[in-house]
Amino acid sequence: MTETLLWVLPLVPTVTALLMLTTRDRRILSAIDVCGSAILLALTLVLAREVAKGGPRALGVLRIDDLGLVFLLLLVVLTLAVSIYTVGWLKQAVAVGNMKAESLRSYFALVHLFVATMVVTVLADNLGVLWIAMEGTTITSAVLIGYHGHQHGLEAAWKYIIVTTIGISFGLFGTVLVSAAAAAHGAVGADAMSWSAIMKIAPMLNPGIVRIGFIFVMVGYGTKAGLAPMHLWLPDAHSQAPTPVSALLSGVLIKCALLGIIRFQTIAAAACGPAFPAEVLLVFGLTSVVVATPFILAQNDLKRLLGYHSVEHVGIVALGLGFGGTIGTYGALLHVVNHGVTKALAFFAAGKAIARYGTRDMRVIRGLLAVAPIGATLLMLAALSLAGVPPFSIFVSELMILRAGIGQGHWVAIAIFLAMVVVIFAGLLHHVGAMVFGEPTATASREPEAWSPLLGMMLLAAIMILLGLTIPASIDGLFRRATEIVVG
Amino acid sequence: MSAETVRTIIDDLGALLLFTMILILAAGQIYRAIYAVAAQSLLIAIAAAVLATATGNTDLWVIAGITLTVKTIVLPWVLHRVVRRMNVRREVEPVIPVAATLALAVMVVVMSFHLSATLGPVNQAITGNALPVGIALTLLGVLVMATGKTALNQMVGLFASENGIFFTAMAVTQGMPLIIEIGVILDVILAVLVMAIMVLRVRSTVDADIAGLDRLKG
Repeated sequence: MTETLLWVLPLVPTVTALLMLTTRDRRILSAIDVCGSAILLALTLVLAREVAKGGPRALGVLRIDDLGLVFLLLLVVLTLAVSIYTVGWLKQAVAVGNMKAESLRSYFALVHLFVATMVVTVLADNLGVLWIAMEGTTITSAVLIGYHGHQHGLEAAWKYIIVTTIGISFGLFGTVLVSAAAAAHGAVGADAMSWSAIMKIAPMLNPGIVRIGFIFVMVGYGTKAGLAPMHLWLPDAHSQAPTPVSALLSGVLIKCALLGIIRFQTIAAAACGPAFPAEVLLVFGLTSVVVATPFILAQNDLKRLLGYHSVEHVGIVALGLGFGGTIGTYGALLHVVNHGVTKALAFFAAGKAIARYGTRDMRVIRGLLAVAPIGATLLMLAALSLAGVPPFSIFVSELMILRAGIGQGHWVAIAIFLAMVVVIFAGLLHHVGAMVFGEPTATASREPEAWSPLLGMMLLAAIMILLGLTIPASIDGLFRRATEIVVG
Repeated sequence: MSAETVRTIIDDLGALLLFTMILILAAGQIYRAIYAVAAQSLLIAIAAAVLATATGNTDLWVIAGITLTVKTIVLPWVLHRVVRRMNVRREVEPVIPVAATLALAVMVVVMSFHLSATLGPVNQAITGNALPVGIALTLLGVLVMATGKTALNQMVGLFASENGIFFTAMAVTQGMPLIIEIGVILDVILAVLVMAIMVLRVRSTVDADIAGLDRLKG
């Protein structure tokens, strides 16, 4: 019964996508959207309970364990928040002509197909299926990024599809190498590509081949995850996409790529010792944190700012995985969830502010608190959390990653990491403080705030604050079991 | 077929594959690059067929068939149509001169042979030098994508790179599991269709190549 759920989960958004094609009415489309996402969340919770009771489940090429569950929960919660936010966002976007009323159904259908492909990446046990689904996310989201149809959007979409396709070609290459190493040890057919089957024989695999395979995969899925120096597509894509899509890209998609990296990290750690993948992750992590900093400071475009900020945080997750150990890995996984929730909230709040002022230029957005008090407060909360202020959740996970680094004696990495985090803290709060406070710009719209975007944002803000104050026992247990899978 | 004959045939096909790659890299007109990549896919299909007869692996027959129909006929036809719709007949403008690209390509090939020496244990005796050729094709495809200034060049590079991965998979495990190969090909078809739509869409709004747009910075 539970096993069947593994196949039902990706089908839910697919069926939702097909249902979208039956109508053109905006209200009905939004209703299907919210219902589809809610059903997905409910089924995931059922699955989560079963996995907590009875351990990992597998059916064919799909498998769910606690590690996948962490990412799956993040995915479905954000999908629901996005659906709720979209109701009000879309009404406004259609009113000002940003979205064409007659093509809405294809937009909704694409969003749900995008979600379906992401669900498969999380559930994939077969590393080939993981790759296929990952390329599937590229194709569906590329169309969404260029959805507005103007020149900049199409430019960003093209850059995205070319760079990430080049990138994950390397990922497939690495996958082929690792599966060849497994085939050399008697794994046959689909088993040679199955993660759980490979993990059983991982310590015996040829370390030289796995090492090269891991580097290829790291470059490949690292491109998709937005790790520097392969991040070039990310700020363009995340800033040009429609806001709900930006939230999904930054909140979930880059995390799905990280899950791919973690799967290969566990294989590489077993085959060539944990030090090797850790070093690779540290190098990419530090590069990302350092490269993102100047762009965050000098940024004028609000959504690009958030995009570069995602590069920094993906780097921090990579650092946590690189520092390793129970604390580092736990911190990294917690950071995946915290950053996903917070960054989606930040994109939501930024999207509303941008709609109100009609520009993404942060120098024009002034005095948001006076025209939209609730939205401004949420934007400020998200920014404080992103900057790493207690008591918000990101502070907790960053502290754990820091502690892991100190425990392992990575002093240089810690010093660079701390310096960059402090600089970004100052830069981010300067940018957001200037937008929220002060005299409102004359061009700012003063219409009242719509309820549905606020509801979506508050849902995320509640999770963000809750995870900062305390981690409930059930969630803590989930993270502990997921950490065990990675650390071994 | 004896193992010796198979190895000779695969090695010869590998040499021809590298030759088609050189043609793609040095192609002055986009038409030629498209014909070269179609020829390359045909060679991959033949290689799969040869391995299928030698090993009796029926999955490889299916792969050969799909490669032949999709990559040799359908996708080059799509590219051809896009070129016609875009109405570009001018030269491909390389970012770096052709001579430099070819020199770089030679380095990549040498590097691939070095790299595959370290991958010895997975290299199967029956496939001869297929592994280094596969690596070289993959990397050279990426080179085409990175240096190609026009959208169509980048799409041709994507094909070549994908061909390289298929050849590598044949070299090390006699092909990926069938279902995975089909999935990968499906992804490539979809990606190319989406790219073709984007190219034509930009072409119809502004008189520019989508790969030439560079407004987004910072």
